[in-house]
Amino acid sequence: MKSKLVTLLVGTAVLGLGNIASAHFQMIYTPEMAMKKGGTIPLKMVFTHPFEAGHTMDMGKPEQFFVVRTRGENVPKRTDLMDTLQPITWQSLTNSGKAWETTYKARGGDHAFCLIPEPYWEEGDSFYIKQNTKVIVNVGGQPGAWNEPVGLPTEIVPLNKPYDKWTGNVFQGQVLFDGKPVPGAEVEVEFLNHKPLLDSNGFAKEGEVEAPQSSFVLQTIFADENGVFTYGLPRAGWWGFAALDLDPDYTYKGKKCSRDAVIWVQAKDMK
Amino acid sequence: MYVKCFTLVTILLLSSSIAQAHTPLCSCFDNGDNIITCEGGFSDGSSASGVVMRVETADSRLLLEGVMNEDSEFSFDKPAGEYVVMFDAGEGHQIKVPGKEIVE
Repeated sequence: MKSKLVTLLVGTAVLGLGNIASAHFQMIYTPEMAMKKGGTIPLKMVFTHPFEAGHTMDMGKPEQFFVVRTRGENVPKRTDLMDTLQPITWQSLTNSGKAWETTYKARGGDHAFCLIPEPYWEEGDSFYIKQNTKVIVNVGGQPGAWNEPVGLPTEIVPLNKPYDKWTGNVFQGQVLFDGKPVPGAEVEVEFLNHKPLLDSNGFAKEGEVEAPQSSFVLQTIFADENGVFTYGLPRAGWWGFAALDLDPDYTYKGKKCSRDAVIWVQAKDMK
Repeated sequence: MYVKCFTLVTILLLSSSIAQAHTPLCSCFDNGDNIITCEGGFSDGSSASGVVMRVETADSRLLLEGVMNEDSEFSFDKPAGEYVVMFDAGEGHQIKVPGKEIVE
């Protein structure tokens, strides 16, 4: 009886958390996560609804934007990129939103791009959203410290490389808050369904797939007791993972603020 | 006897997995100031520090030789003519990077 009550309470808590589900995804986009050779790459920071290329939110000036480069056993090198950011306007299928862009000269190894955005006020839900986001670009195939935390306040640490996934592979990540695993973390998963057009700063009008029903637009999964989640990647392209509300008591300017962690993964077809 | 066999098998298994993990990697970049920097390593993330590096002309004449430093890097003055960079970590672990493919 007692265990039933506990189950009910846990279930209620989980449902309660579910209310914060938002389908917002902070993007750090560049066309290729696994580059054969180094070179200058474009980076676009857009806060949007990626499956539907829908409402794109205005981003404020990020609090932090930096890259940690690691290659082999070399000591990690952190470079601040805040001064390189340029404001842009990103065109979604329904509106346009303030976003940011930069370029970066990438050489060998792993480059973990990290964005700590200014919290976004979500009028409809009456709370702020702050999605600390990480994207790892590899050049030349030599790995670095892709599986180690960068040290963001909220962070998803990949347990397998986010840039070498075949279509059909599973991706596993561990959700951390303050460096510690978050048991049972709620993770939203979304496919970047409309190709980002870098020249025109917007999404392609045509999506790659059509969702048979709204549940498929945004999938929700939960991490296990170690904060680890697993997801099979059914299609080539970019997949976003957003772990939600990792610090439930957190407030910003006196209001509730959902502190999330986002990571992106790129899958490729075997052909 | 069993222990010996077990140890041997373990060693064989271990060496086999180590060998498979060691795909050599070498990328070179033109720094834009007549210096070329090559970054070496292995696909399992291990260091290439100490690996022999050779720069040769197109007809295999040795121009210069050195080793990867502690950061698995090797820099040299860009040769005037055609050249090839050799990353030489032993048999089966060599990489040739033609100079014409080295860009900024």
